[in-house]
Amino acid sequence: MTIASKAARVFPCAFLIAGTLLTVGCAGTPQTNEILATRAGPKHSVELTDVPFFPQTAYQCGPAALATVLGSAGARITPEVLASQVYLPERRGSLQFELLAATRRHGYIPYVLEPRLDDVLNEVAAGTPVLVFQNLGLSWYPKWHYAVIVGFDLSRGEIVLRSGGEARHIVSMRVFERTWERGDFWAMVSMPPGRLPRTAEETSYVHAVLSLERLQRWQDVALAYDTALSRWPDNLVARIGLGNSRYALGDMPGAEAAYRRVTRDHPDAAVAFNNLAQVLADQGRLPEAEGAARQAVRLGGPMQEQYEDTLRQILARAREAYSG
Amino acid sequence: MEKLRQFARPTSYFVVLCLLSLGSYMPASRAAIISTEAVATANQIQIERNHLNQLFDRDNVKSYLRAQGVEPASMQARVDSLTDAEVHALASRLDEYPAGEGFGTLLTVAFLVFLTLLITDILGYTDIFPFVKKSAE
Repeated sequence: MTIASKAARVFPCAFLIAGTLLTVGCAGTPQTNEILATRAGPKHSVELTDVPFFPQTAYQCGPAALATVLGSAGARITPEVLASQVYLPERRGSLQFELLAATRRHGYIPYVLEPRLDDVLNEVAAGTPVLVFQNLGLSWYPKWHYAVIVGFDLSRGEIVLRSGGEARHIVSMRVFERTWERGDFWAMVSMPPGRLPRTAEETSYVHAVLSLERLQRWQDVALAYDTALSRWPDNLVARIGLGNSRYALGDMPGAEAAYRRVTRDHPDAAVAFNNLAQVLADQGRLPEAEGAARQAVRLGGPMQEQYEDTLRQILARAREAYSG
Repeated sequence: MEKLRQFARPTSYFVVLCLLSLGSYMPASRAAIISTEAVATANQIQIERNHLNQLFDRDNVKSYLRAQGVEPASMQARVDSLTDAEVHALASRLDEYPAGEGFGTLLTVAFLVFLTLLITDILGYTDIFPFVKKSAE
């Protein structure tokens, strides 16, 4: 074998490796650059030492990471319990939707953060660990992974994660950003119903609470809407949601108070008058119920038919009551 | 993955719309209570309509429309006549074009092309977007 042919075999390989390294190394980290340059964001260094650690087994980084954030939020939970809920043996991993669904099933509000490292660090600074999705490999040879951010140090440009078998996996912010970017910047927090994410956006958070209604966890839902209203008192959906969840719990006076508050804050919201009419009728206060139902019909809107239906039902009950 | 993120929000609203068809979760005797989901959907559609109205009300969009030979008022009327589903589909499409959100003074080429085709579709000259209703005129 001549030197030339040997070189011909080695050279393309080295070129490929160098090319790959160049591509990977040259991937920019704009978010880290901005954070380190401005340092206007969260305070310099934080570590949430109370966050539990569940070393992952086999491919089960999803259950381990989820148990970490749920445990931190107050749940008594282990990865083994979650594995049956989120781990897909044939995929050897967990899907993000499953993590959101499992969070809800345990009575916590899953909130997916904006794709901004700044927001992630802000949540950690506020005391909330963040579950992140990473591609630890290359875009064309991925190694998907879930881990939990529990700390950061801006002066050193480092992030602390509970990851895999390590309770404190320290990684540079730049490396983290690259792996997180290849995972499409996915990050979530799991909140107890009485606490809001620091970076929560109004509509997104209210919709996150709404997604718990299907599980009929009305106590949790009512508390979550109430908490949302402490930050966004004018949110119509949350106020109606509060009324509806109290109604579902059988708390008629509470539901009535919530609907009345809507009719004051949003006098054009026909739906509030409609629901108020129903809760008044349920309490036997038919003349008041009729008044509210008529107001809903008068205001009208896309749900006109339902308002007219409500009015008809109330009038029918009134006829029965007075003829009986 | 990227596509998934772009469609995550509109998809979740679409799911909400589908869930409406499942009906109320309340017992039959209390069916008069309108669910939070229904309120959220109606609210979202209204926000999207307002967003569209604002977009076509901007000075730079209006001058762009006139430059294309379209009277902004007739454009507004056409947008008003779109159904809820069409409004939602249109708003989701606009989400894909960053120029739609932070309009500023610069219209990107992609958004220009999109807007041109949208205008001609709404006016009935073309038939590109299935969500724009073409009534017989």
